[in-house]
Amino acid sequence: MSRKKKEALQGIIYVLPSFILIMAFCIIPIFMSGYFSFTSYNIMTPPKFVGLENYERVFQDGYVADAAKNTLLYVLMTVPAQTILSLVFAAFLAYKMQNKTGGFLRSVMFIPVIASAVTAGTIWRIILNTEGGLLNNILNFFHLDSVNWLGSTKTALISICIVAVWKNVGYFLVIYYAGIMGISKDLYEAAKVDGATSIQQFFKITLPMLKPITYLVVTLGIIWSFQVFDLAYLMTGGGPGRATVTLVMGIYNAAFKQYKMGYACAMAMLLLLIVVIINVIENLFFKERKGK
Amino acid sequence: MAGMSATNTKKQKAWTPLGVIGLFFILIFAAICIAPFLYMLIMSFTHSTTLMISWGDVNFTDFTNYEHVFGKSGFFRSLMNSVIVVGCSCFFNCVIASMAAYGFEKKHFWGKEFLFKVYMLTLMIPGQVTMIPVFIIMKKLGLLNTYFALVVIILNAFGVFLIRQFMESVPDELLEAAKVDGCPEYKIFINIVIPLIKPVLVSLVVFTFVTSWNDFMWPLVSTTDSSMYTLTVALSLLKTQYQTNYGLILAGATVSFIFPFILYAFLQKQFVEGIALSGVKG
Repeated sequence: MSRKKKEALQGIIYVLPSFILIMAFCIIPIFMSGYFSFTSYNIMTPPKFVGLENYERVFQDGYVADAAKNTLLYVLMTVPAQTILSLVFAAFLAYKMQNKTGGFLRSVMFIPVIASAVTAGTIWRIILNTEGGLLNNILNFFHLDSVNWLGSTKTALISICIVAVWKNVGYFLVIYYAGIMGISKDLYEAAKVDGATSIQQFFKITLPMLKPITYLVVTLGIIWSFQVFDLAYLMTGGGPGRATVTLVMGIYNAAFKQYKMGYACAMAMLLLLIVVIINVIENLFFKERKGK
Repeated sequence: MAGMSATNTKKQKAWTPLGVIGLFFILIFAAICIAPFLYMLIMSFTHSTTLMISWGDVNFTDFTNYEHVFGKSGFFRSLMNSVIVVGCSCFFNCVIASMAAYGFEKKHFWGKEFLFKVYMLTLMIPGQVTMIPVFIIMKKLGLLNTYFALVVIILNAFGVFLIRQFMESVPDELLEAAKVDGCPEYKIFINIVIPLIKPVLVSLVVFTFVTSWNDFMWPLVSTTDSSMYTLTVALSLLKTQYQTNYGLILAGATVSFIFPFILYAFLQKQFVEGIALSGVKG
């Protein structure tokens, strides 16, 4: 065997285990999902081809409509809030507190990230309890009325959003902080010589230099937010009524509660389509930026 | 002169009103980040079923809630399951991903860059899209309620991507020299490459640990037998089992939180580096 051939064979052997796993548990399942989405399938009996029926039903399903609306609202509320907060905090820590205290604050803000959504949801569900929950106790202490945070259709979704932002800021802060530390100090020195205030420096140097990172943070934020499940499942279970049902909760219920695998796959394929579109848009923005 | 420049830099960093406001907000946010966990810890030592913290009820020497959580609810079994699943996930992810990364970076075979692009694309696929067919496959093969099912879902292309970036820094000359000396291929990988990529392996372990420990939806659907529940599933069920026994539920939450927290306390740098690396290179 020639040396080149031997090396190629070695390479293939090294890659093979991961290739088998990724084929078996990611790539083939995507095609299976695509196929099932055109069938009626309850696992027990073989899948029956039904054409576009599942997709037609998805668009007529009131539950899915509510879930889509809630998920979109969730994305629109959490992504801007977590992006802005993490950017502002990262900038502040990078410019004003590059010391032990700043490092400590960064560590503290990362703690919610390492907790599971289940842990976080469990704690917050108890803190937000209407009767005697910590938050309402604090409100009462300041002579404000109790709020039925998770039990009212008005506040349930927004409460989940706030907890999600609380949980995510630390993660994006780390990304932004690394980005800001990578910006050349000379730019700021030059700006200072020209008498730019720190606010001007932030908008004229930091923000433009961080554009690629912001694209990443926003794209990741949107994609993850579209997949929200754990927090809502733990904190409200989708209620009250359908006030906090999400798309993934719809998939979960259809597939694993009602065993409508075909219908669930149709929803999953639509979720995949959303994610692909977001990625394509992000890439277009990136190209446009590079073109300039 | 040195003293003067020092005072100069100090002057530039003087606290402006805006800075003080910023500091105020950041301190408040940091407090909100940590307060729920302190609340969890404190409340896990009370027996009151109302939620008002009354300090009289808190008794830090009384571990009844913890004893109860471990004793009766099958929580300990779930904890062991999580430990086994996380341990296997970390081990196999490191082995399989570093092998693949080595193959991709240091060997040449037809179509490897295309294949690597496919790997990268799989990273953006939402887990729910593949979850249903994987569930069906596992069900048909009778593999639901097994450690295999819980571990295999954690292994993905992220580790390959992370290690390959690091693998670039392993000098080709070193591998060539070993080959010339007659060192067999597998020994080059185990004795030379693995020790050199240790730092990134630690990052991957940290990442895999947290992903696997915190995974919820897949264990929820793939385990129907309560003896196979992982900790997240067991914790989510405490709420239905023990309605308003909040001390008990929060004791469960504390147990589930303490493991990743200890890991974080010791390996903070690796947590942050892993994220910054995946983030910046995206």
